[in-house]
Amino acid sequence: MSLAARGPVPPALRRQSERGLVGVSAVLEWLGATVLGLLFTIVMLAVLRRYLFGAGLIWSDELAIWLNVALVALGMPLAATSALSMRLDVLVRLLPGAGQRLAAILADAVAVHGALVIAIGGASVAALVGGTSTVLGLPESLRFAAFAVGGGFTVLLLLWRAALDRSLAAALASLLIGAGFYLAAQGATGLSLGAPSLVAALAAGFGLLIGAPLPFALLAGVSLSGAFGGLLPEPAIVQNTVSGVSKFLLLAIPFFLLAGELLTAGGLAERLVRFAAALVGHWRAGLAQTALVASTLFSGASGSSVANAAFGAKVMAPALVARGYPPANAAAIVAGVSMIDNIIPPSIAFLILAAATNLSVGSLLVGGFVAGAVLVPALAIGIHLSVRGVVDEAPKATAAERGRSFVGALPAIGLGVVVVVGIRFGVVTVTEASALAVAYALVVCLALRSLDLAGVGRALRSSAGEAAAVGLLIGASAPFAFLLAVDRVSDQMAGLVTALGGGPYAVMLLANLVLLVAGLFLDIGAAILLLAPLMLPVAIAAGLDPIQFGVILVVNLMIHGLTPPLGILVYVVSGITRVPAASVFRAVLPLLAALLAALAVLCLGAAAWPSLPPSIKELF
Amino acid sequence: AGRPVTVASLLGEDKPETRIWRRISEILAKTAPGRFDLRIVANAALGGEKEVAEGIKLGSVQASLSTISALSGWVPEGQILDLPFLFRDRGHLKRVLAGPLGDELKAKYEAQGFVVLGFINYGARHLLAKEPITTPAGIKGKRIRVIQSPLHTELWSGFGAFPTPIPIPETYNALKSGVVDAMDLTKSAYVGFKLHEVVPWLIETGHIWATGVVYVSASFWKGLSAEDKAAFAAAAAEGAAHFDELIIADEEASMAKAKAEGGKVAQAEDRAGWEAGARKVWTSFAPKLGGMAKIEAIAATP
Ligand code: NA
Ligand code: NA
Repeated sequence: MSLAARGPVPPALRRQSERGLVGVSAVLEWLGATVLGLLFTIVMLAVLRRYLFGAGLIWSDELAIWLNVALVALGMPLAATSALSMRLDVLVRLLPGAGQRLAAILADAVAVHGALVIAIGGASVAALVGGTSTVLGLPESLRFAAFAVGGGFTVLLLLWRAALDRSLAAALASLLIGAGFYLAAQGATGLSLGAPSLVAALAAGFGLLIGAPLPFALLAGVSLSGAFGGLLPEPAIVQNTVSGVSKFLLLAIPFFLLAGELLTAGGLAERLVRFAAALVGHWRAGLAQTALVASTLFSGASGSSVANAAFGAKVMAPALVARGYPPANAAAIVAGVSMIDNIIPPSIAFLILAAATNLSVGSLLVGGFVAGAVLVPALAIGIHLSVRGVVDEAPKATAAERGRSFVGALPAIGLGVVVVVGIRFGVVTVTEASALAVAYALVVCLALRSLDLAGVGRALRSSAGEAAAVGLLIGASAPFAFLLAVDRVSDQMAGLVTALGGGPYAVMLLANLVLLVAGLFLDIGAAILLLAPLMLPVAIAAGLDPIQFGVILVVNLMIHGLTPPLGILVYVVSGITRVPAASVFRAVLPLLAALLAALAVLCLGAAAWPSLPPSIKELF
Repeated sequence: AGRPVTVASLLGEDKPETRIWRRISEILAKTAPGRFDLRIVANAALGGEKEVAEGIKLGSVQASLSTISALSGWVPEGQILDLPFLFRDRGHLKRVLAGPLGDELKAKYEAQGFVVLGFINYGARHLLAKEPITTPAGIKGKRIRVIQSPLHTELWSGFGAFPTPIPIPETYNALKSGVVDAMDLTKSAYVGFKLHEVVPWLIETGHIWATGVVYVSASFWKGLSAEDKAAFAAAAAEGAAHFDELIIADEEASMAKAKAEGGKVAQAEDRAGWEAGARKVWTSFAPKLGGMAKIEAIAATP
């Protein structure tokens, strides 16, 4: 910052430039919001048509997938430059001032490298791939061209932001170094390492440590492996990234994000809190237990722990602090209970897992309910034991108060019911249910007049941005997963996980240890995408049930939302409550212990499962 | 260790889709020792059929199998092999492909960067339903899951059914919960995806023969010496023949498994009615596939 103040840019020009950058970002956000609105309309039209006229629309799925690709392409420049960029800054903050400035330049250089891969690689796929979508009658090259344009805008916005935050010289340095990396990756060193994925992992890890945005660090890493006998030509990197985004199941992500956003903005979430308080507010640590119950209710309608954490941080944390909870404890409680959102259906994590492994979404969601039934009591016990000194129980709510708060919460509870019943009774598929959740939240909030059109626009804008950031990460993990698959890393993983023998207990133990370690360094979504396809075959070979194993994998990785260095849930809550992340990480330890104990219970159950007699299995 | 060849397979180690490549790899170890290092990646870890085809064009994947319909975005003429009730049996299909049509299609694929080393047969698609729907009249008004293909959609809407495209990972649940009532698939995939648990009736319509190709990328092929090309082509041809045997065995094993787990089989009735519906699709697609005369000639091939 000090450098920016001394920068050579004259103040008037600087203000103008700042306005320009904000303007371009706003245009991209509005375009993203429009695409998301269109996406919603098309999926809803297809459902309506099926119910009114019998037949669905043959082109609706494909068009929806293409629009999702466009959404990610439009949001990419924002995902690189905004708070959604998934930059790890814990280590950079330890550096002295000059070191921080150098790290910032290098981090942007890595981002520029990744964005150049998308821009130039995307253009060459568009030129090479050929083919026509048989349902849409449009050339397939369009999807890749959209990414090429997104990559180009990303380079532009990255450098613009760098010039404003640091200096023109710093931006230029990032461009030159990034372009240098890019060119170096095109040439062959002649060095052929046995495992190109190792080169990619080291390069991506370096980028991550110096604070480069995670998706671009992954892309830059894979690109650099090309110089060491990598098996993925540049166009194929982009083709894999776009394919990673082009999955029908993933459409549920923007919809669940939007539903959560509407639920919060429209005040339905607050009604849930009132109801939860009426139920458990009189317990010891009553308001903390209320946060847990409210989060559990919220998770029945939302698929995103980040949305849950953001909602809790805005609504619950101030209430907890007002009741006498130390701010760090309040933030830790909110962060800790928000992990449950990805376990209790609907869940984005299970959608990502299903997309990466072809496990049945329906079965995974059932497994999520079982896991939720173990984790919620564990969190309740963790809160009960850890919150001492704060005696906050409220007077017990009367039956009439409970009744009133229940009626008030009905519209929000109804959303969860619509989603679960819609899927269970075959009205809609999982993806369509997520769109139905949006429709429901929209209609109820507009009917209650708790939300106006401007509010809907804001919700569309912010969820489009978040969806693009999540989508980009999913896409950027795909080429990495490709390298791991071709490198035969799966064989080594199998060796690691079966080191104590191939029995269910031994495999379960080692798989969890590997996940616990890997999860420290990987984002939750990336860890699911990279590790699940490698571990699942080993688990199946050990006789474990694939669905149970998948659920445990997600529970294990979701716990990492609460661990440093990449504890996304802690960062979200800390960002909103302005409590330093380090103190939230400390305060969340008791809940972490409770969750690990619950994980151990789930693992023992799943490992014992293969040897249980069928009569007992049928009880579940 | 030889030239690295990235091979993509959609299914697991025990399925014909992967075993064909293990066989090709074994043959090459004898006929071209040390020349090739086949890296066979199973379980669709490198993507679905369309992504793999894109990878073949872009040089990240060197070899794979594909159904004809997955390649129809590049070579729409291939859909002639997907026409319903055009091929009587395996032998008929094989004879037609051994004739000029096979060479003609190979040239079309090669022009798109796909070098086809052999045709394979995944088996016939059959109607799968919750009840024994044996006649075209029975399917009227039912919601049927289809792949995203105008040809399939037209076939079923022609019978008065409501075709609904649903991606394969969501299909099991869509059938279980009743979003759709029926679907169609080959026997091997029917049991592979455990669909007999949700649509226990397999009605032997055999309406579309699922034809596929063993193919490699043009850039990989151009880089091979004449000797290596000959060895690879011979191994692939032997592999393709092996694949067809494996599928037949897999179909038998699959149907035995389905039967043991409550699956039931019915014969299709009113053959004339089914074929009349299919002919409407022939007429409508003929202009794109080289004309009605060409289609009739295939039907007339002994
Ligand atoms: Na949830
Ligand atoms: Na997959």
